[in-house]
Amino acid sequence: MQRPTFHFTRGMTFRLALAYSAWFVVSYAAMGAIAWRIFVTAPLAEVRATVLAEVRTLSALHEKHGVDALVDALDVRRESPSRRRAFHALVAPDGEWITANMPAPPPLVQSPWFRFEFETFDGGVARENEAYTYEQRFPDGTRLLIARDTEDVDEREELIGQAIGWGTAVALALGLIGGVLTSRAVGRRIDAIAGTAERVMAGDLTGRVALRGTGDDFDHLAETLNAMLDRIENLIQSVARVSDSIAHELRTPLARIRADLEELDSADDAATRETLIAQANESAARLQSTFDALLRIARIEAGRHTLAAESVNLSALVSDAAELYAPATEAGALHLATDIAPGIRVRGDRDLLFQAVTNLIDNAVKYTPPGGTVRVALARETASARIDVTDDGPGVDAADLPRITERFFRAPAQAAAAGQGLGLALVEAVARCHHAELGFQNRSPGLAATLRLPIAN
Amino acid sequence: MRILLIEDDERVAAYVVKGLGEAGHIAEHIADGREGLYRVAGEAYDVVILDRMLPGVDGLTILQTMRAAGNRTPVIILSALGEVDERVRGLRAGSDDYLTKPFAMSELLARIDALGRRPAAAPSKSTLVVADLEIDLLARTVARGGRRIPLSTLEFRLLEYMARHAGHVLTRTMILEAVWDYNFDPQTNIVDQHVSHLRQKIDKGFDVPLIETVRGAGYSLRRP
Repeated sequence: MQRPTFHFTRGMTFRLALAYSAWFVVSYAAMGAIAWRIFVTAPLAEVRATVLAEVRTLSALHEKHGVDALVDALDVRRESPSRRRAFHALVAPDGEWITANMPAPPPLVQSPWFRFEFETFDGGVARENEAYTYEQRFPDGTRLLIARDTEDVDEREELIGQAIGWGTAVALALGLIGGVLTSRAVGRRIDAIAGTAERVMAGDLTGRVALRGTGDDFDHLAETLNAMLDRIENLIQSVARVSDSIAHELRTPLARIRADLEELDSADDAATRETLIAQANESAARLQSTFDALLRIARIEAGRHTLAAESVNLSALVSDAAELYAPATEAGALHLATDIAPGIRVRGDRDLLFQAVTNLIDNAVKYTPPGGTVRVALARETASARIDVTDDGPGVDAADLPRITERFFRAPAQAAAAGQGLGLALVEAVARCHHAELGFQNRSPGLAATLRLPIAN
Repeated sequence: MRILLIEDDERVAAYVVKGLGEAGHIAEHIADGREGLYRVAGEAYDVVILDRMLPGVDGLTILQTMRAAGNRTPVIILSALGEVDERVRGLRAGSDDYLTKPFAMSELLARIDALGRRPAAAPSKSTLVVADLEIDLLARTVARGGRRIPLSTLEFRLLEYMARHAGHVLTRTMILEAVWDYNFDPQTNIVDQHVSHLRQKIDKGFDVPLIETVRGAGYSLRRP
């Protein structure tokens, strides 16, 4: 299989970083626009209004009182203190300068508004000026240029423009570099996970994702995946074991039946024939009951059993189950001790629950030596009903405990005493469909089975 | 008894018909559902044995049609569908008993016996008497030969069931279904243990045992 290689430019992380830096650039530009408005557009508009008002006053003066009055007024204006220096130029129709404190460009301009830069010398110090100018043309051809200095605005314009330009460039560059770096880092982690998945797909079930140990999101994901792989590995192993066991458990009685039938063919005396037939019948019955039990577990596990969800009096049910085993314990010279809290109800299927509890007791009875005690207890916990079935038999090897509910599992030491090996598997299936917790513990001596069912309100 | 078997599998049918004949019943066999339905409607039988999956009309439909027409003939369903819910469906449709394939002939015979001779709406007697055994159903006490025998609730239920069917063979499954209020598969020979326990109390110290073991079939409470 072609292993998919990771391209960082196609990776989601890279695109995310890119989108993020684009978004950063956009917000930076928006900030620039606001600054431009506050520091450039607004002061210029203010200057415009001032200049226009001055032009109107001066034009009116010129119209009423003639050029001399205008020149006087211009001089006064020049000298009057103001935040922005006042500039003017008055040019006669023949091009002769009447009065001016600024250079006047030739009359080429279409719009009456224009800005231009020039230098002035104040006591030998050169000064940059930028005149925001309005040109008014009188009917006789005289040109009046009125301006205010906007050099500060010009400087700000330049600064803001530079800041936006450089800022954008740097943000883009950093975003790109960050995108490449993070997507590379993330890509390596993803590659590690994908690599493990491929190993597992290729059949190596022992493959696990390596952890970095920083406890970050990827470690968390890797832990979850590893836990999933553990579960899958366990399931596959148990399926393999179970199918081996099924084959064995079904074939053995079949083989016995065939052997009995063959022998029957050549048996002469009636007594032998009868024994053989009885044997074959017994094997068939065993085969049938194994088959039935397997089907039943499968049905419950597959959720195909229409589960009755009625309110069940668990106290009565457990005590009925214990009563069911009273003769069996007596026959085996066992002591059966019950401690059943009254009035506990749960929701569930009473037949299945009864089956589960009897299977637990059955198991305990089977493994308890004569003279031993089987304890059946039902107690109320905060949110659950707890059924305990304990015996003082040999218990189960710690290594075998997790496998105890596996189909056909029998503790090796007690293989002889065992039945079908399906009892606890059925209990587990019932527990699972009732959202109950089933646990087993070694108590040396003996085994304690605990079934916790959510309690009905 | 006159028994009608509606079953499509030839070998199972032959086996059942032969077994019924040997037990002294008169058995008729029909393989098709539709034909079975006509036969049931037209003639009187003591017991009908009905397969669930049949060609033509299926078993449950035959049963429902019978019951809808007021036919009260006892019916035993014979089916490979043995799960509890299937059983419940069969009993709800109006069957009197339900037997899962594969089954033992003795089991079928015992069930036919119990059904066929079931008293139509048993008179509510307050005492059951089998030989010198007396069961007081109201006081829930048991005495044999005038001597009171203390029994647990479960033992009393078991004895009552056996006494109600005194003289009949009761298989382990029949006892399990009748005495215990749960549908379950016992892992061990629970019924045997309970019966032997009861036997200890009822028969021990008396010359004539009442509880008899029927080999290959089950138990019976009999008048000696």
